[in-house]
Amino acid sequence: MSSIDPILLSVFARTFKSITDEMSMSVQMTTRSPILCEAKDFVTGLYDAEGNMLEQTENLPILAFSLAPVCKYIIDYFGDDIHDGDVIFHNDVFSLGNQNNDVAVYKPIFIEGELVGWAAVKGHQADIGGNVRGGYNPNATEVWQEALRIPPVKVYEKGQLRKDVWDLIFANIRLDIVQHDMRAQMGACTVGERRMQDCLKKYGIERFASHKIALFDASRKMIEAEIEQIPNGVYRGEGKVFFDGHHPGTEFTIRVRIEVEDRKITFDYSETDDQTDGFVNGTFTSSASATILTFLQMVNPDIPHNEGMIQPIEMVIPEGTILNASYPKATTFGNHLCPPNADAIIRALAPVIPERVTAGWNNLLCSLTTGIDPQSREPYVDIGFMGLKGGSGAMKGTDGYDHIGMIDASGGVLDQDYEMFEQMTPHHLVRHELLPDSAGPGQWRGGLGVVTEFTIGSDDTQLVTFGDGDFEPAFGLFGGHESILNTIELRLPDGSSLVPKNKDLITGLPQGTFYHQIAGGGGGYGDPVKRDREVLQEEVKNGIISPQKARDVYGLG
Amino acid sequence: MAIKIGIDVGGTFTDFLVVEEGREPRIHKTLSTPEDPSLAVIDGLEEMAQIGGSSCSLEEFLEATQTIVHGTTVTTNATLTRNGAKSGLITTSGIRDALEMRRGIREEQYNNRYTNVVPLVPRYCRIGVEGRIDRNGDEIKPLSLDEVSEAIALFKQEGVEAVSICFMNAFANHEHEQQAAELVRRQMPEAYLTVSTELLPSIRFYERVSTTALNSYVGPILDHYLNQLQGRLAAAHFSGLLLIMQSNGGVMSPEVAREKAALTLLSGPAAGPGAGLVYTQVHDRDRCIVVDMGGTSFEAALVAEGPLMVNEGTIDRHRIALPMLGIHTIGAGGGSIGWLDEGGLLRMGPMSAGADPGPVSYGNGGTKPTTTDANLVLGYLNPDYFAGGKMKLDRQTARQAIEASIATPLGISVEEAAAGMYRVACNNMAQGVREITIKRGFDPREFPMVVAGGAGPIHSCLICDELEVPFQIIPRESSILCAVGMLMSDLKHDFVRTYVSRLDGVDWARVDAIINEMRDEGAELLDEEKIPVERRTFFVRFDCRYLKQYHEVSFEVAADDVASHDSDAITRAFHEEHNRLYGYSLETQKVPIEIINLRVQALGSSEKPRFKATEYGGSDSSPALKGERSLYIFEQECFKTVPVFDGHKLNHGNHIVGPAMIEEETTAIFVSSSFNSVCDQFGSFVLYRKGREDLVASITKGEGNEQH
Repeated sequence: MSSIDPILLSVFARTFKSITDEMSMSVQMTTRSPILCEAKDFVTGLYDAEGNMLEQTENLPILAFSLAPVCKYIIDYFGDDIHDGDVIFHNDVFSLGNQNNDVAVYKPIFIEGELVGWAAVKGHQADIGGNVRGGYNPNATEVWQEALRIPPVKVYEKGQLRKDVWDLIFANIRLDIVQHDMRAQMGACTVGERRMQDCLKKYGIERFASHKIALFDASRKMIEAEIEQIPNGVYRGEGKVFFDGHHPGTEFTIRVRIEVEDRKITFDYSETDDQTDGFVNGTFTSSASATILTFLQMVNPDIPHNEGMIQPIEMVIPEGTILNASYPKATTFGNHLCPPNADAIIRALAPVIPERVTAGWNNLLCSLTTGIDPQSREPYVDIGFMGLKGGSGAMKGTDGYDHIGMIDASGGVLDQDYEMFEQMTPHHLVRHELLPDSAGPGQWRGGLGVVTEFTIGSDDTQLVTFGDGDFEPAFGLFGGHESILNTIELRLPDGSSLVPKNKDLITGLPQGTFYHQIAGGGGGYGDPVKRDREVLQEEVKNGIISPQKARDVYGLG
Repeated sequence: MAIKIGIDVGGTFTDFLVVEEGREPRIHKTLSTPEDPSLAVIDGLEEMAQIGGSSCSLEEFLEATQTIVHGTTVTTNATLTRNGAKSGLITTSGIRDALEMRRGIREEQYNNRYTNVVPLVPRYCRIGVEGRIDRNGDEIKPLSLDEVSEAIALFKQEGVEAVSICFMNAFANHEHEQQAAELVRRQMPEAYLTVSTELLPSIRFYERVSTTALNSYVGPILDHYLNQLQGRLAAAHFSGLLLIMQSNGGVMSPEVAREKAALTLLSGPAAGPGAGLVYTQVHDRDRCIVVDMGGTSFEAALVAEGPLMVNEGTIDRHRIALPMLGIHTIGAGGGSIGWLDEGGLLRMGPMSAGADPGPVSYGNGGTKPTTTDANLVLGYLNPDYFAGGKMKLDRQTARQAIEASIATPLGISVEEAAAGMYRVACNNMAQGVREITIKRGFDPREFPMVVAGGAGPIHSCLICDELEVPFQIIPRESSILCAVGMLMSDLKHDFVRTYVSRLDGVDWARVDAIINEMRDEGAELLDEEKIPVERRTFFVRFDCRYLKQYHEVSFEVAADDVASHDSDAITRAFHEEHNRLYGYSLETQKVPIEIINLRVQALGSSEKPRFKATEYGGSDSSPALKGERSLYIFEQECFKTVPVFDGHKLNHGNHIVGPAMIEEETTAIFVSSSFNSVCDQFGSFVLYRKGREDLVASITKGEGNEQH
């Protein structure tokens, strides 16, 4: 083994990051589906020959750990049968996929016949077959009602397209743009492959092999240093999930037992409630991602994201729980179990590292409208990004951030531009504003939520809702108060009103239906009476906090 | 005697370039005066008048001056330091918070201590009023003039100096904006006013409201500054043409600048790329990479048949959607600090020691080792000839700082640590160049690299190694490249209109009308700027996308294709550009294309100074040899003694084999082992990779003595 050059380490680290960033840019600029190019719901990564993560660019934190487990699975699955020019697709949640719609492309990287690494891109596809267009089927009870399962499959073998396999896959997917978007992901993998080859040829495979271990060690040391600052002990916390999509009134609990032992931390979910009969179930990978991203927000944000970063983190997520459903359960809602999972972790650790945690974040409540635009007679789909994002939780010394959404997005999903919204849909925007008093009061207040109102512009409109946060607000910490709840309410032209369930499918909405949504704020931190008076007065002047709330809750004289 | 002067105001120095027919161009630098930058301008002009050889008074000097081109960062600084004008916004009811929410982005997703940027207009001065235009431009609710008046009354009460008006869908119908503007002009005539559709009549509300608010935020600042500057210049008998640098690489009159102050927001480095092209054209190339490394930042730009443009950018996290040069800036400069992260990895920047305290070796109290300190330890900088000997550098303290912060913790020698800092800094800069080349579909190896900034030419060989660039050009004026560029800039005015239509079903009468309207506006400005008709050119661009894509591709459309309404040719041009940018097009799939915006750029060609070529002086460079010293050879990872040349004594054709150092008063050039250097007919040092003598064949033969 060659000796470690500390400078070459920095060069490798910076180069790997630049490669995954470049792959990310390539996906963003070439994909068609707004979930990819606007919401950036995709991740790009580089792996070594054994599938250890070298670097990744996750545009949304929920994808922090979504590519890594599958790479090792694929290596194991194909064994000796991996060749230069192969391209492998994968989405299967029962072989470590995180969500059915998240389809990954893996491309092995060879130098002179030797497998040296992998480039991979996973992105949320606009459709993946199953019963419901777009993939969110609140009525599903089994995986086949949700999606086409793609266990590891070669769509290219030694550089040759397997046309039959390709056609089989896309014969089961409704929208043509998915083919284009998968091609864009393959293009980004090629970008990664080429640059990785250039880099390894320049520095040599042997030096790469020894230095990557040193890179993992560097990240591991950084995260270990962070864990060491948490007192040893066992800490417990809970988060609530409301409604499984089938049985109104149902409620489930995520229970985490966190054990800190010097430089190691274990998240054990063994006491979590059993899986549900509906689609409100996690997969191992989605739940592991949720755990990691929540923990990463409590540590130095500057740690390079590689294999070493996750080595000191152990996770026990037993199969059969709501966080890791067993075959063949439905699981599409799994990523959205991140907010209650985060709640459980925050509640567990708040007493021991009070200066590092935030209060509760606003949970996701999302809606999706589809129909035919009466002016163009073209179909439209709108994911209500602008309406779904509430505020983040406050932390000691820092207010929550307004309108950046649930913790698994953390400001990574952008609103539709208002004028583009009116071009792409027939809807008429009435209001999208910060909502005064929506955040939990505190010495540091939660981030504000928003109110969204528009008039639906097409007849026979379909509305799908999925999410939570309409039963339980974002919680406050250390004397900080909770926020207000999420709501969606429809007022029909006949004067009647309709409140969809938090997982619902409503059809036949007429033109002129008034859509009203509130995304609540984040929880507050510390006693509101201690809030800086000057800041408070400014907030009253700005209409962010009402004079009444300022007086009654903050004690402004 | 017609004098032209380029004046570039920077954070530390104000740079001047004076070009006078029949004389060598003259460079001058004077200390900037941040509290009133026009003072340094006048000081510098006075100094130049006196030391110029034909010593004269400031008044005589300025009476002989035909043109002054001026780059100012007053608007940039006001934004970065949040010292803009107190502003109010009148907008459509229900969406007044768009400016503050910025589409709900948090740039650092794992950092819960990261807070939102302070909005340009406080919420209580953002007023939503009734009145609504729909997506087709039809009025569905009349504007409430009463509510506009109420807003104006509030603004007066709050001491608002600048007002912005931006209404929903105004790109499709600006009637309501005009009505509101009329009221503001009448009831609040003293206020600076920006109407969104007068600045940027294109779709995307957030981009438009942010750009409009930025314009109002900095408008009164620029207005005040130009009054001071013009007052001082007039008092000193200047009656020539004053032109102001814009972010798009062009210049404009002070009158236009006052109205559209936001056009100057990112103008700081905007003159560099155009200047780079001038030095490249000497070698019959029309494309180059221009890099500029200063004290705190490194800027990279691409020129391919004209500098690369983008249609939007950000300043201090605020969106600005005006056409500008696509310049990529990273925090890597001479003052960038080297540090070890918690995992023990060496990092360089983005923190900078700046000018105060500056690098450790300046002896002004800096304690953290910087790029400059590493360069000193490695022998690239001469401690006795920094800034021509005006400033002494202390090698011993530089060594101590590197030892304490880097070498000891890593268990390596000071030299190894300094070499590491140098390599990491160069790697960062090479990644910065990738941003403007590879990520935009260009291969950097096909471009000569023009290297500017005092610290640039020490690092450029290693940057070029990383990117496999074989050809570098280091102008004599490299330390004041932007001032050169200002004298080379044309008058440029950009216009945009949103016109949403499928390309295969375009209403050409409508498109012609829109384009003509923009041309007329451009012609009007060029009239005011006294540009004769024969020196005007108009370029048309379309912003298009495949149906249902989200991001548009902006591409130039041939005037003939527009005139002949040739949709097919325009379609082909779009496919081609999409393919170049993203590696594929959907031409064979016959996916429909839609137009989103039409753009016109009106260009008024300015009279540019001409540089005189020098006589061929043969290849022998030995008369310029001034000594030798030991410095770090990165290819072999060891120190070696190399010859040092006095750059001021090197003439056209003089050839130097790397490794070698070339020293000039404001620049040090390191020719690494993989490069050789030859001086071209305009005095630029041309560094070519060994074995690529073909790149400089014409210089070594002494060709190209004609004027350029």
